[in-house]
Amino acid sequence: MLSRGVISCSAQSQKLFSVVPRSSAAARVPPPPSSPHPPPSSSRFASVAWRRSSSFCSSGDPKSKSRSRRMETLKARASAQPLQDADDLINSVETFIFDCDGVIWKGDSLIDGVPETLDMLRSKGKRLVFVTNNSTKSRKQYGKKFETLGLNVNEEEIFASSFAAAAYLKSIDFPKDKKVYVIGEDGILKELELAGIQYLGGPEDGGKKIELKPGFYMEHDEDVGAVVVGFDRYFNYYKVQYGTLCIRENPGCLFIATNRDAVTHLTDAQEWAGGGSMVGAISGSTQREPVVVGKPSTFMMDYLANKFGIQKSQICMVGDRLDTDILFGQNGGCKTLLVLSGVTSLSMLQGPDNKIQPDFYTNKISDFLSLKAATV
Amino acid sequence: MEVQSSTAGAPLEPLSPTNFPGLFDSVDAFLFDCDGVIWKGDKLIDGVAQTLDLLRSKGKKLVFVTNNSTKSRREYAKKFDSLGISVSEDEIFSSSFAAAMYLKVNDFPQDKKVYVIGGEGIIDELQLAGYTGLGGPEDSKKTAEWKSNCLFEHDKSVGAVVVGLDPFINYYKLQYGTLCIRENPGCLFIATNRDAVGHMTDLQEWPGAGCMVAAICGSTEREPIVVGKPSTFMMEFLLKKFQIDCSRMCMVGDRLDTDILFGQNAGCKTLLVLSGVTTLSALQGPANDIRPDYYTNKVSDFINLLGA
Repeated sequence: MLSRGVISCSAQSQKLFSVVPRSSAAARVPPPPSSPHPPPSSSRFASVAWRRSSSFCSSGDPKSKSRSRRMETLKARASAQPLQDADDLINSVETFIFDCDGVIWKGDSLIDGVPETLDMLRSKGKRLVFVTNNSTKSRKQYGKKFETLGLNVNEEEIFASSFAAAAYLKSIDFPKDKKVYVIGEDGILKELELAGIQYLGGPEDGGKKIELKPGFYMEHDEDVGAVVVGFDRYFNYYKVQYGTLCIRENPGCLFIATNRDAVTHLTDAQEWAGGGSMVGAISGSTQREPVVVGKPSTFMMDYLANKFGIQKSQICMVGDRLDTDILFGQNGGCKTLLVLSGVTSLSMLQGPDNKIQPDFYTNKISDFLSLKAATV
Repeated sequence: MEVQSSTAGAPLEPLSPTNFPGLFDSVDAFLFDCDGVIWKGDKLIDGVAQTLDLLRSKGKKLVFVTNNSTKSRREYAKKFDSLGISVSEDEIFSSSFAAAMYLKVNDFPQDKKVYVIGGEGIIDELQLAGYTGLGGPEDSKKTAEWKSNCLFEHDKSVGAVVVGLDPFINYYKLQYGTLCIRENPGCLFIATNRDAVGHMTDLQEWPGAGCMVAAICGSTEREPIVVGKPSTFMMEFLLKKFQIDCSRMCMVGDRLDTDILFGQNAGCKTLLVLSGVTTLSALQGPANDIRPDYYTNKVSDFINLLGA
């Protein structure tokens, strides 16, 4: 079995069969004049442009694990503890931030015991916030989803990465006369509209075709000052080319990713290729890394801490994914709780490949109702 | 093998009447990239036909090494023919051919299937090598369903996913390839190449295979085995066919991080032409570490240099 990235060489042609990895970053042709412009220091939201795996554009050295390179820079943490005394945890924080997919719901089905758990936390005076990397809906549309599922959640408590993209652009004073090209779904368009930002693209461009024949030329709007890329089920070559042209040719054009999740639970039955795929595609054609506004970047954490006046040490982040939810919580200096009701299994958490250790783990959030200290 | 170019810091030498005769005499075979060197999209670059004729008349072997996997070697021979250039199928080494050969030399089981995100070229070469290819252009019209009880099925006997340039990329293909790689034990992830952009038409650059490959890297969190340039995998087949020492070959290409690096990795001489994706300022710029032995405007410069 050929394991990831390792090349099996036939003995007699050893010399030439060593498949040379892609050239190193230094050997790439220089980037276009437009480099990502960092948020001005006056911005209240000094977001971490969180570099995920650098493997997208750099040497595909079969022996290196880009994730473990990144992990070396995080301080070593003790192994995750199974949650035993829920009250202890609940009493130690003021705010719970919940991821949605795999924590609150799976696809369109509510996970068992969620409504009672949220009610219990509210009755104890805890603030509840919902932070999702899923950019297909706007906050308002998520509000409706919560309502449909019988959950009492206010739109103001929801922070989707679609909202984060618009909020990020606002925080850097994105010029009113510039436009945004969107490779993504309705949620992003709605949030940009609410923020008063002009946009092009979105699902509509899913129907556009190109013809690679002599004389065919694709124009692009030179006023596009940012390309926002997120999960996109209507992904196609037209959009890739449009976004690529904007980033490569419009001076100062930003490349923003709502998130880079590899897979997502669109339906409760299985995993689906996630936003990380679309963002990877644009990274591949532009040879640039995006500013990531969704988890694990702390942009949304900084935003809501500022908005609600919360101290990060008083927050517990609850999620099902180690490299987004838990890392998000850790980057923000919060307590972290992994639930096993989503994409991560116990063996993945405890496996040798995993370097991310949440403070606690438990099966699902309704364990808050059942896990009590033995003495109580 | 060293990834970083070992020629960093060496001076850049334009091809001239002074250095050309030396290069010409020391080379028995010229290896040409195609997009941006021979043609741009479906248009031949000026003077190419005459240059190739001249080289053949002087007894030089001509080889064409292309990362563009949309066609098979056979189809490339037809393309050359339609442009008035006589090239035989076995003088062409496309990354579509490389992908099929990789599976063959690594004894990929005949009872396993290959899922293709890419063009007909890959499907054709797989078939010629005796393998069953699924996907390819056929999956361009497919869409996925996202209803609660709908499962996106995938063939469990897929043992490799080959990803190349695909102008008909869509979510269905991304999902299919992702599931195969993530869920079929031992499934290989092979990239024909990772070029970021290329001249798919004569008027502008378009996203290359690097885009589709990175999309699958993004959803699988795995790195592929790359069979096209700058990997020297294809060189094995070239050597078998031509029996010419690598030091007596000259790689002529328009891209530093594929063509020139390929030539350097294999121990050939290297010549960059500025008729494709690389400009003089990009070549000379501070961010560039890859130094070809020589550079010139275009392939037809040979005609003047030979005449001088």
